[in-house]
Amino acid sequence: MNSKRIKWLLYHLFVGCFAIVMLYPVIWLVMSSFKPSNLIFVTAGKLIPDPWIWTNYVDGWKGIGNQPFITFIRNSFIVVSLSTIGAVLSSALVAFGFARTNFVGKGLWFTLMMLTLMLPFEVVLIPQYILFSELGWLNSYLPIIVPQFFGVPFFIFLMVQFIRTIPGELDEAATIDGCGKLRLFIRIIVPLIAPAMATAAIFSFYWRWEDLLGPVLYVNSPSKYTVSLALKMFLDSETISNWGAMFAMSVVSLVPVIIVFFMFQRQIVEGISTTGLKG
Amino acid sequence: MKKKLLILLSIALLILLAACGGGGNANNSDGNTSSNQTSGGSSGGGSGGGDAPKNVTLRIAWWGGEPRHDYTLKVIDMYQQQNPHVTIEPEYASWDDYWTRLAPQAAANQLPDIIQMDLSYITQYGEKGQLADLTPFLGKEIDVTNVSESAISGGRIGDKLYGFNAGVNALQVHFDPAMLQKAGIDINSIPENWTWSDFESLSMKAADAGIYFSTGLKADVFFNYYLRTQGKRLYSPDGTQLGYDDDQLFVDFFGMLHRLVKAGAIPTPDITAQIKGLEDDLLVKNQAASVWQWTNQFIGLQQVANRPLEMHPLPGPNQSTGLFLKPSMFWSIAENSQNKEEAAKFISFFINDVEANKLIRGDRGVPVSSVVKEALIPELTEQQAQVFEFIAWAEKNSSPGDGPDPIGAGEVIAALESVTEALFFDQITPEEAAKQFRSEANSILSRNK
Amino acid sequence: MTKATLMKAIRRNVAGYAFISPFIIGFLVFTAFPIVASFFYSFTSFDMLTAPKFVGLDNFVTMFTNDPKYWKSVKVTLYYVVAVVPLRLTFALFIAMLLARASRMIGVYRTMFYLPSIIGGSVAVAIMWRNLFGDDGVINILLTLLGLDAVRWFGNPTAALWMLIMLAVWQFGSSMLIFLAGLKNIPPTYYEAAAVDGANPVQKFFRITIPMLSPVILFNTIMQTISAFITFIPAFIITKGTGQPLDGTLLYSLYLFRRAFQFFQMGYGSAMAWILLIVIAILTLILFKTSRFWVHYETKEGN
Repeated sequence: MNSKRIKWLLYHLFVGCFAIVMLYPVIWLVMSSFKPSNLIFVTAGKLIPDPWIWTNYVDGWKGIGNQPFITFIRNSFIVVSLSTIGAVLSSALVAFGFARTNFVGKGLWFTLMMLTLMLPFEVVLIPQYILFSELGWLNSYLPIIVPQFFGVPFFIFLMVQFIRTIPGELDEAATIDGCGKLRLFIRIIVPLIAPAMATAAIFSFYWRWEDLLGPVLYVNSPSKYTVSLALKMFLDSETISNWGAMFAMSVVSLVPVIIVFFMFQRQIVEGISTTGLKG
Repeated sequence: MKKKLLILLSIALLILLAACGGGGNANNSDGNTSSNQTSGGSSGGGSGGGDAPKNVTLRIAWWGGEPRHDYTLKVIDMYQQQNPHVTIEPEYASWDDYWTRLAPQAAANQLPDIIQMDLSYITQYGEKGQLADLTPFLGKEIDVTNVSESAISGGRIGDKLYGFNAGVNALQVHFDPAMLQKAGIDINSIPENWTWSDFESLSMKAADAGIYFSTGLKADVFFNYYLRTQGKRLYSPDGTQLGYDDDQLFVDFFGMLHRLVKAGAIPTPDITAQIKGLEDDLLVKNQAASVWQWTNQFIGLQQVANRPLEMHPLPGPNQSTGLFLKPSMFWSIAENSQNKEEAAKFISFFINDVEANKLIRGDRGVPVSSVVKEALIPELTEQQAQVFEFIAWAEKNSSPGDGPDPIGAGEVIAALESVTEALFFDQITPEEAAKQFRSEANSILSRNK
Repeated sequence: MTKATLMKAIRRNVAGYAFISPFIIGFLVFTAFPIVASFFYSFTSFDMLTAPKFVGLDNFVTMFTNDPKYWKSVKVTLYYVVAVVPLRLTFALFIAMLLARASRMIGVYRTMFYLPSIIGGSVAVAIMWRNLFGDDGVINILLTLLGLDAVRWFGNPTAALWMLIMLAVWQFGSSMLIFLAGLKNIPPTYYEAAAVDGANPVQKFFRITIPMLSPVILFNTIMQTISAFITFIPAFIITKGTGQPLDGTLLYSLYLFRRAFQFFQMGYGSAMAWILLIVIAILTLILFKTSRFWVHYETKEGN
């Protein structure tokens, strides 16, 4: 009993301290957002701001040009949530196809999918841009959102690997019960790969949230800019930069991602222990 | 079950086909966005009479920081109020995002109508047929009555004018008198016509006092200045090779800088690499006594340092052959623009309108229009006035600039930075650096033959 | 009889294709053309501003015989991959095992460990990281406290590369999360049975955790290897796109970007990309082939 207590204490002590070490840079970032712009680098060694100021938040929240910062957050939210829904659902469907059905050419399609992961983005960027230009999709979110609805290779592969850890007896039992493939997928597989889907949702959310290249290329009007793009506009290497506002809004833009993470990580906690093996 | 799937599949296919078809239509109308709006506008104002100007939409793109975005938007508002038939869609971004976006736009024939252009890219975009020749608009849409020919010619490549000079810059040394004092140097003891050997001995003096004399000299910019004082150039006039034959010039210039880096009068490249912005510049942090840069950067530096700074000409001999006026940036018009005349009119407004320039306040370099310059003088802060005065002085004490860099200059500059970095880290000797740079640069430039 | 089997086969194929149809459609519409185009560009001197000109194998010949920077970037990238992949995976698995238990604090801990990955590739993280490794940054203060010499992280090519490697290891969150999800998929009954047999934690780890987790380990290894090879954003934002010092951080993808976009040599960049693709594809294939010996699936492929 007592040794269990000590173990418990040691565990929390270790994990807690370790987490704080890992978090030091993040804490530095947050603290910097309360320092005056011209002191952020001069007092970089000191963690506690002196003086504490809130004006960075006020200033940053006003936004850039004619756009208040909330516009950028709203834009990011639209792009990111639609992309995430599309990416997770379509990838699960495709992953099931790869993991649990057999068809001619499966190897070929799987290989093609893996290959798309290996080509550096820089070289497909120009033809892709021309393609979206031909579709008339420039200066909109379509080039960023729509492709997500057709399966994201990273997530497909992730879910394939997860589905393959699920015992096949479940499928057989379900098939004998007269379950079609689609119902097998929805009734049995989806609940079982919920942790993987939650993982994919978290990734998708923050990848899209921090994605800079898509918005840089496809969104021209500042009223449609996303957070990642807006943050860079506080800075200019040649003249004075608004570092304070940049740090402050970086902190603000972390909040939605943290909330999403906190919500979805529960799915991973629960995982198989509650949803599992009901089928 | 299977049936349902088949239906799903065919629906997916249908959506796909519809998307393609819709896309195709969108594309057809895409090239004519502005003419669509034109017809919409003219039907609305059709009763007004035939001579009303037709409605147009112009896309304008620039890079910069927050203050530039703010005032440029105000200038655009002002223009739209005076020209109700023009709608301007701004597209602004930070420097690197700007160029990342511009290349694909060019590849897809989707460049904005009005493009803020940089000296280092104008040849690339101009000679590859992406930018319109502005010559036909001069004296018509673009009012040049108050602009000197030498200011205009900065955007000329061959017989084509690919960009209109948005403002003038010149090279300077920006001294911090207090830091010099700490190094035991009286700023008044540095003559206007100082020389490179003065520079070296002053630098050594500062280094002895534990102070960087300068924060570093950008290799291509100041080497070119040095070559100009010797009657040479970094690039040959046709842009197919280096513009100097004697590697001794390289060895003299970079050998001197190398000695100063070793002595601690100029920071090593790793110190410079740690600087994140103006706010932690070595001069601002009281570690260096001077910054060598362009005139328009004086105002920002002064503001951040928040103590008196002084401007000074670059070392000689032959300062006036070395010194030149450089267009800080250009306004260009895309070759694929449907509304070149309207775009040209806006550029003219930006260059010539006094009220607009009271908002711009020389942020894009000292205005090229003599009338605008006159009108601004009473409006300026003390530092801005100093910049204007220096440019006025430089107009009389400089030689014509070299025009835009040749194609491949970006790569040559990268090669130069790479060899000088190796030199300053003591990896190679000045002689080796000179040789290596010549072979790399010439192989890059020879592609222009 | 044969007709029935044929019908069954057709149905099976239709079902399979129906499930993966989103991917096929997306691939054909959005991905196939750009990939084919980039393959074509690699044999041209495409500069993005004018139509591509065919130059045969010139790009590949230059790359292999006349471009020292190319080989430099290959060396830097290999060093980076070999360092990052094992470090990141071990670290991620270690933390995931620590956090794969039920506790009220666990959600908070997970969020804390995941936070570094969330701030990802933003401008702020670059500024912060550069500051941490500055000449008088926290890392050097710690080193001096431990009685070691301060390191000039920005002056030494290897040290600068390690600055990038540590950034990648610090952002281990994505692998950790995948491991966590994998750990949660292992039925607790397996451990209970092992406990009854009197297995100790080490035995449990090697007999249950590793085999049950092996599909996920394979996934993480492959994905981390691929992403390490094509790492771009950290190198770009931390060195301001230069690959300094002395090309010590000139990762393959960064050099490719410089060639393609800063020097307008999209043809050359595409050629570089295809060589990289071939190398990664071969490595991935090898990993897949070896997986037969160490990856344990609950179901045979395709069922």
